[in-house]
Amino acid sequence: MADALFVGLSILTVGSAIISLESRELLYGGIALAVSLLGIAGFFIILDAPFVAMFQIAVYVGAVAVLVIFTVMLVRSPNTVTKRETVKRKVAGIALGLAFLALIGSLIGNSVISQLGFSDTVPVVEIKEIGRELLTYYSPVLIVLAFTLAGSIIGALALARREDIEEKNEPA
Amino acid sequence: MGALNPDFRFGNFVGSIIQLVLFILAFVTLLILPIIFFMLFFVPLPVVDGQVLTPYLFFSMMVDPSRTLPIVQFLIHTDLFRAAVFPGFAFGALVAASTIFIERKLLAKMQLRIGPLYAGKIEGIFQLLADGLKLVSKEIIVPSGADKMIFWLAPIMFVSTSAAVVALIPVASGWVAADVDVGLIAVFAILGFFPLIILLFSWASNSKYPFIGGLRALHQMVAFEIPFLLSALPVVIFSGSLNLSNIALSQNLFWNIFVMPINAFVFFISSLAELERVPFDLPEAESEIVAGWLTETSGMIFGLIQLGNYLKLYALAGLFVILFLGGWYGPQIFPQELIPGASASEDPLLRMVALEGLYNPVTINSIFWFTVKTFGIILLMLITRGINPRIRIDILLHTGWYKLIVLTFINLFIVLTLIYGGILGPEGLISAR
Repeated sequence: MADALFVGLSILTVGSAIISLESRELLYGGIALAVSLLGIAGFFIILDAPFVAMFQIAVYVGAVAVLVIFTVMLVRSPNTVTKRETVKRKVAGIALGLAFLALIGSLIGNSVISQLGFSDTVPVVEIKEIGRELLTYYSPVLIVLAFTLAGSIIGALALARREDIEEKNEPA
Repeated sequence: MGALNPDFRFGNFVGSIIQLVLFILAFVTLLILPIIFFMLFFVPLPVVDGQVLTPYLFFSMMVDPSRTLPIVQFLIHTDLFRAAVFPGFAFGALVAASTIFIERKLLAKMQLRIGPLYAGKIEGIFQLLADGLKLVSKEIIVPSGADKMIFWLAPIMFVSTSAAVVALIPVASGWVAADVDVGLIAVFAILGFFPLIILLFSWASNSKYPFIGGLRALHQMVAFEIPFLLSALPVVIFSGSLNLSNIALSQNLFWNIFVMPINAFVFFISSLAELERVPFDLPEAESEIVAGWLTETSGMIFGLIQLGNYLKLYALAGLFVILFLGGWYGPQIFPQELIPGASASEDPLLRMVALEGLYNPVTINSIFWFTVKTFGIILLMLITRGINPRIRIDILLHTGWYKLIVLTFINLFIVLTLIYGGILGPEGLISAR
């Protein structure tokens, strides 16, 4: 059962990823991207990580895909891509992707993750355990991350609310 | 009326009836019987009341009144029933339909009108049925230059996404279509689909008003998503669980609204904005942009979107009840037995009328109180519609980004103080467990 689900999800995810790259219509490409991201959330559910899956949906489908589609809609120029890629560039891109995949695969294969013992009853990683670790052993990392995020948000606000530009835009 | 067709022959009439009977017989032998045998051979049949439930047993149980109850009991505990009928789609749609009718009557009374009057004998009670028939029979007009695929798919997506939210809402202990460990996050994740669907639909309509409405909807929903999520955060900290059933179970001593009233207020306002209801109905502002993103809808496409909207209304009102109003807890008002002394009697008919084995006073009580509270919240949303004008878009965005987000933090800090002060929470003085 899980195998059939896995194959179906793989076809959905990879297929819509290919469509999102190859589609002549930019908007359909954006929708296919959203479907592909949804498929990845499905993989997380299969992997018994519903928490990650829900945040995958909330962040990527709810925010990133909406942003992409919104931008595509507001683009004034004709909504289709007319330029065709040459065969050389295509082959080079696919080769680069496969090389990256092989690299990551070998890295994961040699790491500790491949030696974890999986069982059907006991979850390998518990969310509460992750939370506890984050607040005790890894708390400096968490604080640094929080400061980075807060700094970037404040920076974005400062850039968006520059008063000299606001005054220039508003008619006297 | 009028004269018979000159070609009419009685023999032809009889012949057509015989033809019909033959057709039905052929249909049964060629299609229905093979399906039954296929089921018998290949599908593992469920066991009801100690017997394997074959289709023949099913039919004989249905005609014998004393044997009907076990099969009904079996059916209401299947997953399909939960998803499609009781806590799921059909129940949500029923609440949605009654909400539409109550809304029309209530708003009319508030504005010194009468409201629906003619369909049905009492107070136009069949108005909704008439409207539904009208919508089904109307032609669906696809605007020229519209993106056909998205235009047809978006309403279906809208309804199914709303139904997915409904499926996550528990109505009593154990009565939920999808009991997810991360239920609350799942609700917010699924609600994140709506801006996407609305934006795509408004773009696919290929018209100016829908697109303006769609952009407004996007701005509004994105602005109110953050206070929406943040206002539910103290509830999670408080009950120590993301599962909606556990959140409701943790409120058996007192309702969360007494500890975090500000958050309940923010949640209510944000759900109004999420539902595009007055005073936040800018995406459908009918006096400015015709009907907003619904302008090009017609017939059943409009019907589906309305159904989705009201399903969402029920789901968010139910969520409010689960998070802040103590879920399904309330005083026990249903008797222990439907007919006193029925379970001890020998008469099978009496036991059937008393719904023995089916009637559970605690569950019925839970469902009753949940429904009453949900309708209370829905009524509050309807009254808000009756007494408020539409607000300007800059005020709306200002409210969402500046005011509500700040307001959510006040109660967060209060709850954290109470928990770390050892007063409330799992190990506090007043413990829920």
